[in-house]
Amino acid sequence: MQTAQRALLTAAVAATLVLTGCSSKAVNNSSGGGSAVKTDVGVTDQTITLGVLTDASGVFKNLGLGITHGNEIWADEVNRAGGICGRKIALVQKDHGYAADKAIPLYGQVKDNVLGLAQLLGSPILAALKKQITDDKMVSVPASWASTNLDTPSVLMVGATYDVEMLNGFSFMQEQGFVHDGDRVGHIYVDSEYGKNGLAGSKAYGAAHNLTVVEAKVTATDTDMTAAITSLKSQGVKAIALTTTPKQTASALTQAKAQGIDVPFIGNNPTFDPVLLSTPAKDSFDKFYFVNGVVPFSADLPAAKDLAAKYAAKYTDTPNVGVDFGYASGLVWQSVLTTACNDKDLTRQGVLNAVAKTKVDTKELAGELDFSKPGQPSSRKSYIAQADATVPGGMKYVKQLFESPEAASYRTPFQH
Amino acid sequence: MQTFLQVLINGTGKGAIFALLALGFVIIFKATEVVNFAHGSLALAGGYVVAVLKPMVGWWSAAAAGITAAAVLALVIERLLLARARNASDTSLAILTIGVDVLVLTEVVRRLGTEASPFLGDPYDVKPLTLGDVTVGRSEVVALAVSVVLITAFFAAFRFSPWGVAMRAQSENREAAALMGIRSSRVTASAWAVGGALAGIAVLFLATQDFSGGGLSQATHGVALAAFPAAIIGGLTSPGGAVLGGFVVGLTEAMTAQYVDLDFAKVAVYLVMLLVLVVRPSGLFGRVVQARV
Amino acid sequence: MSDSNRAAGDMVPGDGRWWRIGRVAGAALLIVVLLALPLYLPGEWLKVGTWMMTGAVGALGLTLLTGQAGQLSLAHGFFLLVGAVSYAVLSGPAGDPTYIGFGLPPVVGLLGAVLISGLAGAAFAPVSGRLRGIYLGVASLALVFLGFWLGRALPAVAGSTSSGRLPQPFSIFGLSVDVSRQLSSLSVFGVPLGRDERTWYLYLLLTAIAYLLAQGAVSGRPGRAWRAVRDNETAATVLGVSVVRVKAGVFAISSAYAGLAGVMTAWWTGIMKPDESEVAGSYGVTVSIAFLAMIVVGGLGSLPGAVLGAALVFGLPVALPLLTQSASADIGSGTAFSPIVITNFAYGALIVLIILFEPSGMAGLGRRLLGPARART
Repeated sequence: MQTAQRALLTAAVAATLVLTGCSSKAVNNSSGGGSAVKTDVGVTDQTITLGVLTDASGVFKNLGLGITHGNEIWADEVNRAGGICGRKIALVQKDHGYAADKAIPLYGQVKDNVLGLAQLLGSPILAALKKQITDDKMVSVPASWASTNLDTPSVLMVGATYDVEMLNGFSFMQEQGFVHDGDRVGHIYVDSEYGKNGLAGSKAYGAAHNLTVVEAKVTATDTDMTAAITSLKSQGVKAIALTTTPKQTASALTQAKAQGIDVPFIGNNPTFDPVLLSTPAKDSFDKFYFVNGVVPFSADLPAAKDLAAKYAAKYTDTPNVGVDFGYASGLVWQSVLTTACNDKDLTRQGVLNAVAKTKVDTKELAGELDFSKPGQPSSRKSYIAQADATVPGGMKYVKQLFESPEAASYRTPFQH
Repeated sequence: MQTFLQVLINGTGKGAIFALLALGFVIIFKATEVVNFAHGSLALAGGYVVAVLKPMVGWWSAAAAGITAAAVLALVIERLLLARARNASDTSLAILTIGVDVLVLTEVVRRLGTEASPFLGDPYDVKPLTLGDVTVGRSEVVALAVSVVLITAFFAAFRFSPWGVAMRAQSENREAAALMGIRSSRVTASAWAVGGALAGIAVLFLATQDFSGGGLSQATHGVALAAFPAAIIGGLTSPGGAVLGGFVVGLTEAMTAQYVDLDFAKVAVYLVMLLVLVVRPSGLFGRVVQARV
Repeated sequence: MSDSNRAAGDMVPGDGRWWRIGRVAGAALLIVVLLALPLYLPGEWLKVGTWMMTGAVGALGLTLLTGQAGQLSLAHGFFLLVGAVSYAVLSGPAGDPTYIGFGLPPVVGLLGAVLISGLAGAAFAPVSGRLRGIYLGVASLALVFLGFWLGRALPAVAGSTSSGRLPQPFSIFGLSVDVSRQLSSLSVFGVPLGRDERTWYLYLLLTAIAYLLAQGAVSGRPGRAWRAVRDNETAATVLGVSVVRVKAGVFAISSAYAGLAGVMTAWWTGIMKPDESEVAGSYGVTVSIAFLAMIVVGGLGSLPGAVLGAALVFGLPVALPLLTQSASADIGSGTAFSPIVITNFAYGALIVLIILFEPSGMAGLGRRLLGPARART
């Protein structure tokens, strides 16, 4: 390199050193707050700020918008009643379009401004952020019920997990005489934390009742279940479990009907969406049962109907179970924050401590939830429902909230 | 045996749709040497028009409007964008179609909102046909019939009509064709319109319960990706090859899903494609590019 | 495409002395800004920057393959996956009951991952050597589908589709990149260097090394051989270039770059997890196409173009949502022009406009703008 060039580079380095002297990112430790309640991130004397990381434009935008609107209805209600701990609830909403590369910087943007996350949607996003929310003590409600995510205290899971749902579902099927010990059953599942957790449930039930579970693995974006049904049919299954997307459910049911395989189906909560009853698949649901931890939208239950009325007054998007879940997660946050307030500690650590002693009754929305057992789901109870276009809300309950003995004795992956 | 027949018929029906998509793809490539990454979006846009018009004017008119819309959109992309970027290489033009694809896909998905995804196969969807002891979706059978008619018509036109002659001449030698008085821009534009129309027809079967199990949505766009291997297997310059490629893809997927592994079906399609390419580097019927000095 | 030969500016004859000094001054200014940025930018913007650099490393590799050597590839996503998985396995803790790991130091893991990705690229040579143009492009797409399937079929290696496996945080000279700002004992001018700041410097170093190596290759013997093969294989053979070896070699080099980008992807996302669908995700078809878009909008064969293209294609979609989502705005309805929708529009429109008005990409634009300055000296 020539002398002139070397001189320039030296000057450049020197300039860097000068420039950096006045950086605004330098740390100045100031402790805030003189109020009696201890606070750190995302809480002022007037507001408690919670984050919402959702999908309002990508493949899960229906669910994301539903949950977000449920969160909003809850926050409005709380604020109109005067807030929690003398503070209003503010929601900071960020749309990541179900893409982890967009969600990661967005998390970075909100993490120093919010106390916790009222919603964290997307399994690839939760997987990528799990270590961070644990490090940051960021209590977050995931829009996922996989018991494999109960390995961190930062995950606040509202309702029964997929494996527990499936155990309750099979227990119901056996009670009805649809399956018997020693039968061969099929399970179509999405290759993701959702599907694998559902499969863990049917396998656990199979082990206890000597059922052979024939697996049919599909990917999240597949919609055509023709091949899966043909394959299960040729293997002579007596019943089929589904841990699939609503579209996959519709395809599986219509294909079963078309191919003349007349067996009952049991599906996890997210397998059904009432909008399916306005599609060509609408006549294929007669042998389909599904298990719910959180009540579906506009179910014929007082708390759900009340919420549906509030929703209709404000929003135009087609509603789904996300609204009830978003609202129920709000109720859980409310209970956690109230406990933390009574303990005079609204810091991140204070919230974590409060979660560990929270028990909350969400009424019919998700039943009684107990967060005091780390590694375990907050509930092991489920409803069984059937799709029915003739009733308002598109579904009727065939069994009220119950806990099967198999679900009660099941050990979740991180149970101590 | 019953299962085998079922799989065979399902695979053939799906192959017919892939054939329509691949044919449109090849026609565009043959006339312009542009790989159209926006093919899925053409289908999606046509389907959206059908979904919007269907409740107002009935299925048949809506379908006609949708097919026209897809053709017009293809024409617009060619005239407004590609024709004006003549200095760009073929690779650059392919990337340009990716930009168009992102725009169209984003807008259609936004417009679809949170309503139930619209299904487009009213006259034939979820009306299974029983042939002996085998049950098949009516959509697959109608799709097969429609594509046989269309493909025959296309080959007749390609062989005998002035348009077909011009098209073949241009793809053989652009300069010579121009010297013979063939208006290159007209051939190019018409190729895009035909490709778009075929995508518009294919979507009427793609967005059905029988075929894809889902209504018109972002996923419909992904299914159209299968046109890639179909077109390559047959050879990008061969319309007949595209049709064959479509059936190869449909059958490979169905057979692998049943007899090897459900999850392996999509990989199997690409492995078959690789195998074909190793033996014949320009596809089964593609024109072999000679090395020039 | 002949002007891509000029990508390495050193080769342009007739450069004046002032032009050279101007270039060095420009480079020096760039270095200053890049070194100082972490002291000013908040963490999320550093994340955007490191994501751009991840894209840049991958794009540099692809522009050597496609721009310099004329071989179209849509398999970049697959080689990213190979790199990421190799790193996770090589440096993963040995004796983990769930995941296979060799417990090697992260530096060895990094080098090993780059090497394995390069070998994987060379292994594809028997196929890639036979094919041309779009046939090669779509054939290479087969690797992406194969990777998608393999990743999910081998959870002990690639991480479970349920929750993935954690890639070992990188550390060198006893310094770990993965340190929270609160706990960091290292600070510059009162700015503690945490995870985001340290990652920035690490990525800057890796990108600089990748860039300089590529520049050396382009302006040296390998670059001449690549361009000879690209422009005319028969003529290249006559000149004594082994076309088969050159093609295999450049595929291996390009894959090694992709492998490094893959390791950077795994660090950046903080997780090694197979994609949920073959289309979306970190290693799928969309990513492979995005890399091709980078080098085309940047200008085929141009190294600065590849970096700029990466900044646009990887940077814009993650940067715009940060800018457009104000703290108080609600998400709105399902048909709203949400920030992500606007981002996608901007991304699509920019690609269309660049190719429409500047077919040789941003590198071509740069040459046009700088051309007069160069001519005056």
